[in-house]
Formats: sequence, C-alpha cells, structure tokens
Amino acid sequence: MKKSFLIVLGFLFLLGVGFMPATSHAAKTLKVGIVDTYTGPATAFTLDVLDGFKLAAEKINAKGGVLGRKIEYLTRDDKFKPDIGLNMAKELVMKEEVDVLMGTINSATALAISDFAKAEKVPFFVTFSKSDRINMQKGHRYVFMMSEHSEMAGRAAAEALAKKPYTKYWIAGDDYEYGHSIANGVWKHLQQLNPKVKLVGETWWKVGEADFTPYITQILAAKPDFVIVATGGSGMVNFQKAAKATGFSEKVPFYQHTAIEASTLAPQGKNAPVGVFGTANYLFYYPNSPENRAYVDEFKKAYNRYPKVGSLYGYMTANFIAEGFKKAGSFDKEKFIDAVEGMAIAGPTGKIAIRPCDHQLELPMYFGVTKVDPQYDFLVGGDIQVVPAKDYMPTCEEVKASRK
Amino acid sequence: MDAVWVLFSQKVLSQILVGLSRTTILFIVSSGMSLILGVLRIPNVAHGSLYMIGAFLAYSISRLFGGGSQGFWMALLLAPLGVAILSLIAERALFQHLYKREHLMLLLLTFALSLIFGDLTKLVWGAEYKSVPVPQVFQGFVTVFAGLPLPLYNLFLLAVGPVVAVLLWLFVNKTKIGKISRAAAVDREMVSAVGINVSLVFAAVFVVGCLLAGLGGVLVAPTVSVTLGMDHTLIMETFLIVIMGGLGNIWGALIGALIFGLSQSLGIMIWPQFGIIFPYLAVVIVLMIKPTGLLKSTW
Repeated sequence: MKKSFLIVLGFLFLLGVGFMPATSHAAKTLKVGIVDTYTGPATAFTLDVLDGFKLAAEKINAKGGVLGRKIEYLTRDDKFKPDIGLNMAKELVMKEEVDVLMGTINSATALAISDFAKAEKVPFFVTFSKSDRINMQKGHRYVFMMSEHSEMAGRAAAEALAKKPYTKYWIAGDDYEYGHSIANGVWKHLQQLNPKVKLVGETWWKVGEADFTPYITQILAAKPDFVIVATGGSGMVNFQKAAKATGFSEKVPFYQHTAIEASTLAPQGKNAPVGVFGTANYLFYYPNSPENRAYVDEFKKAYNRYPKVGSLYGYMTANFIAEGFKKAGSFDKEKFIDAVEGMAIAGPTGKIAIRPCDHQLELPMYFGVTKVDPQYDFLVGGDIQVVPAKDYMPTCEEVKASRK
Repeated sequence: MDAVWVLFSQKVLSQILVGLSRTTILFIVSSGMSLILGVLRIPNVAHGSLYMIGAFLAYSISRLFGGGSQGFWMALLLAPLGVAILSLIAERALFQHLYKREHLMLLLLTFALSLIFGDLTKLVWGAEYKSVPVPQVFQGFVTVFAGLPLPLYNLFLLAVGPVVAVLLWLFVNKTKIGKISRAAAVDREMVSAVGINVSLVFAAVFVVGCLLAGLGGVLVAPTVSVTLGMDHTLIMETFLIVIMGGLGNIWGALIGALIFGLSQSLGIMIWPQFGIIFPYLAVVIVLMIKPTGLLKSTW
C-alpha cells in the first residue's frame, strides 16, 4: 500500500517536473486584468464593456498583437463590493502580474482600486464608474477615465437645457450618490447658464423603487415646467414606464441622462414614452458614419445585438492599451503612461484623445429626444445635438484646484 | 378656504388610490410568505427570487404569445404555475427533509436557494433589462381626483387585490388542506398524530405560497423593468410587512401591506424629498407599540 503510494507520488513528481518548463516557456502575453461586476443588475452594462473589449482585443490579436505579444485578459467578479474588488485587483497584480488593470461599474470599487494602482504603479482604466472624484479630487498618474463622470453629464445636459425656455424646474431621482451628483451637476450649471431658472421642489426615492406612480402624481400636482430625473440602472426604465402609464410624459417634459440610449429604450420596445430628453456618449445609429456603421455590424455579427454605450468604453480601452504600448515601444508601464497621455485614436465615433491633465477620454456627448423610428422596433433619440468634449469637461485648472 | 380643503382632500384620495394599487402587489407577495412562515415555519428568503422568476417567466410567455394583450393574459395564467412547479420541485427535493431542523438551517437553505435562483435567472434570461408591455385594454389613465392621473393598470391591480384576498380566505377556511394547515400551524405533532399526512399538506401550502410570489411577479412586470436584483428590494419590504402584521398571519400581511403602501404614498405627498422614510417609520412605530406584530402571530 505504502509502496504503491510512493510510486504514484514519484510518478506525479516526474510528471510535474516534465511539464514545468513547458509552462514557463509559454509565449508571453500582454495581460489585462478586468475587475467588474458580473452578478446582479449591473451586468446589463458591464457585459457590454467586456464584449466591446473582446471585440477589439480579438482584432488586435488577429493582426499579430502588440509588439509581438497577444492580448490576454482575465476577468474577476467583484459582486458590486469594493472590498472584493480590491482583493481581486491585488490578486491580478501580485499573482497574475497583469500589465494593466481595467473595469468596475461601482465608483467605490474604482476609488479603492485606483489607490492600489497608484501605490503599485499599475495603469488602471476605469470603464463605467461615474464619480468625478476618480479623476478629479482623487486623480493621479495611474488612473484613466474612459467614461464620462456625473459632473460632465450634468454640464452637458445643462448646456443643452439652458437654451430651452423652461424656468420652473423640479428635481427627482434615485436617492444615492449617482442620482444626487447627476442632479447637482445639471442644476449647478443650469443656474449659471440661465439665471432665470428656479427650483420648485425635489423628490427622492430609494434605489430600486418599483412604483413611481405616487411620486409622479405629486410632481404633477406642483405643475413644474420641466423635471430633471436623476435615475440610474433599472430606475431609468421604471420611471419611463410610469411616465407613460400616467400620461406624465405628455404633460411635463423631462430629462434623464442616458434616456435616449439603447439600454433604456430597447427593452421597452414601441411602448417607451416619446419626447423624453436625454444624453448619451454613444448611439449605435449616430453619427451615421462609415466607421460607426462598420463597428455596429461587427458587434452585431459577434454578439447578435446592438452595441450600447459600455461597448464603446471597452472597445476604446482595448485600443488605447494596444496603441499605448506600441508607441512606448516596450512593456514599461511608465513609458506606456507617457505614450497614452494626449494620444488620440480613431474609434466608431471619430478620433478621441485622452487629456493629459486628468486622463479623461474626450468623448463627445449626444443630446436628443426620444422618438419613434420605423427602422427599429424600439424608440431612438432624435434631434441630436453634439456637445463637444471641451464644452462640458471641467477645465484643467478646475481639475488642479479640486486636487488641492 | 373650502375650495382649498376640497382640493387637498381630493389629492389625498388620489394618493390613497395610488397607494392601494401598490399595496395589492405587496399583499399578494407577503401573504404567500406569511402562509409559508406560519404553517411550515420557513423564513423563505428565496420568496423574492420566485417573485423575480415570475416576472421573467411573464416576459418569456408574453413574448411567446406575440407580446400583446393575449401574451399578458397567458402570462398571468401560466407564469405563476411555472413558479409553483419550481417550488414543488424545491419542496420535494430539499425542504421536506429539513422541516425538523432549526430555523437557522432553513434560513441558510433558503438564502442559498435565492443565490442559486439569482444566477439561474441570469443564465436563462441574460443580464439585459426586460420589459412586459401593459396590455392594450389597460394602456392610458383615468383622471380621478383633482385632475391627477391614475393609470388604468393600477385600477386593474385595485380589482385584483380583493379577488386574491377572497380566494386566499376560501383556501384557508373552506378547503380541507387549508383547515389542516391551520391546525398544523398551531400544533404540528397533534395533526400528524391523528393520522394526517402532514408532509403532503405542507407541500401544498408551500406551493400555494410560492404561487402567490409568482403571481406578484407577473402583476408587477408591466409596471417596471424586469431585471436581476428586483428580488432584493422586495424581500426586505415583504419581511417588514410580515413582521409588522404578525408572523404567519396572512391577514396581518394584508394590514401590514396596507400600512406600508399607504404610508409611502401619503408620505410622498407630505414631504416629497424624504418620502422614502415614511413606510419604515411606520414599521418602527408599529413594532414599538406591538413588538409581536399587529395581529396574532402563529409562532
């Protein structure tokens, strides 16, 4: 018994020794560690980031990769919890020795990983978190912001709303950081751009609120000209359904960030309310350029659905990682960051740069209003105005001042 | 002065109506939980997941039948049955072996089930938001008091609530299973001592309770986006309602749901900025006055 056990052990040892060199001689890859939420409601957005990234990475690998190395990505599920996310990021850096980190839809997780990335000097691309603290107050050399933050969304909406005749505003939203910061962003800048506006009231409901009817009847009773609705996640659709059912959308115009985006409109089919104002960083039908059409076709072919805003963040991130290392000419992380700062890459929505002072991707913002389009079996955004990035990004001076 | 008063009371009435339609769904789901809690003594954390699965099933079934009105009615009929079958499997395969264990064990099991159901839902339906359209007949709204709108679908919910309450009353008071289950809730050993197959009665009650969760899910589906995580907020509210009403007492669940739904809608009217705190405030007040819940607990 004991003897056979030893033989087996010896055999296994030999096997182990025999295989060991093979693994250490495996071709080196450019390793990207992705920490994001892959369980629960946030997956409606995070899977798009991942799919956009995969699409770009596969294309880059098919063309020979980056400086002779293929892009390899490892995903970790943070379950929407900052402590788990941080541990995952640590594991990816310490054990897997990834070259770059990316991900997180949870701002608290992004801030935690950002601190760690700064200490470890690992570049970290934030792909869906919306807190402006990530690259303003808490910004540093190693963190990059690939989506707009709530301050930017607010400014973009205020730019467009200031041109409208409304004066009596009501603010309503999900009672959490994102809701409040979107609402504050819009309101602060709207007041500056149009001093005539005044706030007649506010309503805040809990995140995940299922029934908006009692809130809507109250807002209607106050008769505002315009309502700023600061919802996120599933609240976007829930509010639109309630606005349609109560006739609210026909009586009072309202604005929601991402209201015109496919993630909000596609699930509702033809039943979404018409005339809702919204902003989005990406629309699969606008701009109707050959680049965007080609991207949409590729994405649809690969995943059998229209690309949403998250896919653009993921797609651009993969391309910046690849081009950054190519320009740096090596896998040195410091040289990579120097290379990426100020770099511009042509994507589906045109050539977009990363601003050196706060590492913000200079995405244009599209402001529009929901309408029926016979081409699609769901509503889309119409009357699109483009707000260029420079009009709604905080200035570099503001970024500097916030970091003091 | 009079005109102002009339307008105010009309606004209150309108908010009450809106609150009552929310109460309907809360009542349906929490009465199911209370039934299971009372008879089987299972604090079913997976109850919310069954509600979510009910909503997802409603989405699939309504799509299967063309997505229109017909789809909704078929979903209303079939989706709760689907949930009932799922719960029957869970009961026969897992719960029936564990009734003798302590509550903590059962709590852990149902918690595990809620995680499993959550991930299963993601596997089957994916992560995208789903939406069930409001059936044609209930699209639009009526203007009730003070010119404030009430969606027709909410009116439909207002009608469904009493129907479910009456059916539940008939089940508990007039059917044999109901009577046995009430007896079992009071003294389980005695019921089996007189030669009744308690195991089957328990299975039936469990399935009815879960069916109610599924029904709640179908009914809520046209008003919200059907999404992962919709179980979390509901399960909290449901537990609060069940505790407020008295553990295991389904009429307590009705009263709890009424307090919860009305305090919310009226709270929003009084103080829109902090409307969310009113239902929870109501729970605190009720539990301070009657820590065991408003009606007699079966525990």
